[in-house]
Amino acid sequence: MENPKKATSQESRKTMVSIKNLHKVFGQNLHVLQGIDLEVKAGEVAVILGPSGSGKSTLLRCINFLETPTAGTITVDGLTVNAGKATKEEESKILQIRKKTGMCFQSFNLFPHMTALENVIEGPVTVLGQSKSEAIPYAMELLEWVGLSDKKDEHPSRLSGGQQQRVAIARSLAMKPDVMLFDEPTSALDPELVGEVVDVMERLAEEGMTILAVTHEMHFARDVAHRVLIMDGGKWIEQGPPEEIFTNPKETRSKQFLAHILN
Amino acid sequence: MDNSSKMNKSSIPPEAQAILKQVADRETRFRKNMLISFIVLTLLAIGLFILIKLDFKFMIKWLGFILTGMGFTLLVSFLAISLACILSVIGALGRLSSNPVANSLATAYVSLIRGTPLLVQVYMWYLALPQLGKAIEELGVPGIQSLLTLPAIPAGILALGVCYGAYMTETVRAGIQSITIGQREAAKALGMTDGQAMRRIIFPQALRVIIPPISNEFIAMIKDSSLVSLMGVWELSYRAIKIGRRYFQSLEMLIMVALIYWVMCVLLQYVQERIETYMARGDRRMS
Repeated sequence: MENPKKATSQESRKTMVSIKNLHKVFGQNLHVLQGIDLEVKAGEVAVILGPSGSGKSTLLRCINFLETPTAGTITVDGLTVNAGKATKEEESKILQIRKKTGMCFQSFNLFPHMTALENVIEGPVTVLGQSKSEAIPYAMELLEWVGLSDKKDEHPSRLSGGQQQRVAIARSLAMKPDVMLFDEPTSALDPELVGEVVDVMERLAEEGMTILAVTHEMHFARDVAHRVLIMDGGKWIEQGPPEEIFTNPKETRSKQFLAHILN
Repeated sequence: MDNSSKMNKSSIPPEAQAILKQVADRETRFRKNMLISFIVLTLLAIGLFILIKLDFKFMIKWLGFILTGMGFTLLVSFLAISLACILSVIGALGRLSSNPVANSLATAYVSLIRGTPLLVQVYMWYLALPQLGKAIEELGVPGIQSLLTLPAIPAGILALGVCYGAYMTETVRAGIQSITIGQREAAKALGMTDGQAMRRIIFPQALRVIIPPISNEFIAMIKDSSLVSLMGVWELSYRAIKIGRRYFQSLEMLIMVALIYWVMCVLLQYVQERIETYMARGDRRMS
């Protein structure tokens, strides 16, 4: 799979995702995100860590507006949406942002009434208006790339969890996204199936995809990510290159959290 | 799955094979006994018919006449169920809508129609609507009375369709709500609009859940279509009752018409099973 967006040099990279002062309140007083700022450059791989309930998934889901942020701004590839404004213009910008971002869910969420191939062409056909024959060659290329071209006619119920997640990744990539969001992609998998999914994510990173991942997969965080961010209580605790964060965390809470997950 | 079990057959120890054989035998015996029970039941029924001196000749003589009424029954049922399907989808979308007007309209529709007897509704469409038309015409809308004076069959189709539409609205709503939120989120994450997500992702899956209860409604409607006989339509049951009364042989006629309804419903049930098997195609782990 050719990726035309392969980044050239660290400096010339443009900002792919920019989040400013993001707040999310569930109901009246469950303040999950408390003023999050985040910039992700094109081609950067950022991993978000943090205890459960810290707001990692909510942040990810705010970026493609599966959750509506309560306040703040989100910019993806130059498109800025202000939270709290529910105009028609904002609505269409949200749809644009969703087309630019691919998302992988913990529970895969493949469409069970469609085969693997139908799942992958669904986005291009329904959202981009391509004909099936236009969409199929690239979809097959993607299935090949995730190693599942022989499973193209299987329904999701006949695939293992790891295979389902790989089809889900292919489904997202079929939209040619600029950034991929991974929301605990391996948490629902049996241990022996985690590797095949992480492997695909790793190859995606190598090809220069911008990745924002919430994962507890330490190998990915340590060896693939360019930056690790630790969140707790809806705020950043600490961030930096993985070697720094894992070997020499500065904040007490990061130390506690890392000690907990690394053992 | 099948292949692996065949491959392993040789490694299954003889004592386990004996148990497997017992299980298989038990299943065969069960099926055989079921069949015997059905045959005995049928023979008993026929015996009873002969015992009470049922006039089979009379039944066969009038069979053709009664069956001609089936056309009306099927016409009314099919058109009414089509109307009900359309209304139920619109109603369900209304019930799930965040638009207060659409939501309250749909809720009122379901509540009102489910809360009143079908019999009253049939008469409402047939007898009360012309009066409403007259009142509106007197308010200054010309021609509305004749428009609202419906012949028996259209009135029956509307009454049945609107009534069953209300019940089915709740079925369709429940079906749509049974699809996990993750499906809608996956569709949205791809950039689909709400309409596209509903059409491509949610509804096709909901359909699988709602086919059995909808078939149920259809079977009930086939039988409720006999209510149009109240308006003098010569459908199945009306004919049977008329002839039965005329010759004082109601028993024969009623048994016959009951059997005809039954056969129709058994056929429908078969169609339902075929549709369900087709809809479940994404669900089979082993074929």
